[in-house]
Amino acid sequence: MVLIVGVFLLIAVNIIVLSVNSRSYSTFGLERVAISFISPFQELVTRTIRFTQDIWYHYFALVTIAKKNDILRSQLNRASEKSNLWQETDLANVRLRNLLNFQKSITELAVAAEVIGKDPSAWFKTVIIDKGKADGLTKGLPVVMPQGIAGQVIEVANHYSKVMLIVDRNSAVDALAQRTRARGVVKGESTDQLRLTYVLRKKDVRVGDIVVSSGLDGIYPKGLRIGMVSEVIEHEADIFHEVFITPFVDFEKLEEVLVVLDVEKHSLVSRK
Amino acid sequence: MSYFFNICACLFLVILQTTVMPYLPLLDSFYDPLIPFIVFLGLSRPVRESLPFVFFLGFIMDNLSGTPFGLYITAYFWLFVGVKGITKLLQVRNRLFITTLIVAAGVLIENLIFLGTLTILGPDQQLAGDAAKTVTIQVLWAIWTGPIFMVVLRDVQNRLDDGFRAIYARKGDVS
Repeated sequence: MVLIVGVFLLIAVNIIVLSVNSRSYSTFGLERVAISFISPFQELVTRTIRFTQDIWYHYFALVTIAKKNDILRSQLNRASEKSNLWQETDLANVRLRNLLNFQKSITELAVAAEVIGKDPSAWFKTVIIDKGKADGLTKGLPVVMPQGIAGQVIEVANHYSKVMLIVDRNSAVDALAQRTRARGVVKGESTDQLRLTYVLRKKDVRVGDIVVSSGLDGIYPKGLRIGMVSEVIEHEADIFHEVFITPFVDFEKLEEVLVVLDVEKHSLVSRK
Repeated sequence: MSYFFNICACLFLVILQTTVMPYLPLLDSFYDPLIPFIVFLGLSRPVRESLPFVFFLGFIMDNLSGTPFGLYITAYFWLFVGVKGITKLLQVRNRLFITTLIVAAGVLIENLIFLGTLTILGPDQQLAGDAAKTVTIQVLWAIWTGPIFMVVLRDVQNRLDDGFRAIYARKGDVS
């Protein structure tokens, strides 16, 4: 009986205290201590969650931007490539060559590959790509990019290949100055520059001239861009110009390349 | 366990050198990080255990690089032999200063072997100027970071040894 009365009394007191407390907000010391103790952790957790959320959302935003960027970049590359092809086509019209068809063929006969490793040595310039024999690659195939020539396949494994870049010291590409058709051989220097050798002094080559592949080396298809002449040195005693070229391809940022599979067919198409 | 450590270190360093470092512009003229590892093998491990790794690493690097085949094998082998030779003459295992000098000398030797080969392949006047700059930067990097590599390699190896020893001891107690 006493217990029942006590329970009811406790309920009544509770109701009264609650009704009084609900009318005016009052705090004691303990809440503040509890808040001071818990809040830093809450803040930490909340901030971590927000930080993670921010990263997550920014990541998605960045992914979208990166995708857009890639699309725009590839459009720009296509546009610059097209522009170059138009220039080449103008010149080729004189020689009855249609480089527009050539471009069409390159997209049909090329395999896209990703650069997965770079040369460990500072003295040689090669890269490893993720396509090999299984994808139809063979030794000697040219490797290109929308900006221009990148190199050639020098070793083929089943699913990977080694590509020697045109900036490598051992590389050589038969080339032409686009404007004057002055012929020479583009050699790598294992630096960020190329050298156009064996250009006769009587030939007109100027800074700013675009250098393209001649197709005469049997490796690289004709008309592919290599680089722009950055310096021309004339030695009195020499019969050749000393020409330096800045390549169009940024070899430091090489990520994806195209391997041209059927050069012979490709060359035939370009000569039609 | 040493083999396990060696394999892991090899893979890590090769991948670091070929896939990570090329994307860091600061490390554009960094030296071959496998040199400290070869020096480490020469200083700390027996010939029977180290030599297969020296050849293995040289073989892998030769295949990954555009160098004439055998160049890395040559460089690593002679570096290893040189380090072993030095250990016969000097007590260098725990002397960081001498170890640093050995790593720097290793970088120099590797580059000299490479440049010698390049010169044989085709003499180039411009090469001399470029080479002097690149080799100097690499040697300076080696002096600066070589001891770090050596300390880390030694520390990881010791920790692994201790860990495996503890596991074996526990197994021995249970049986």
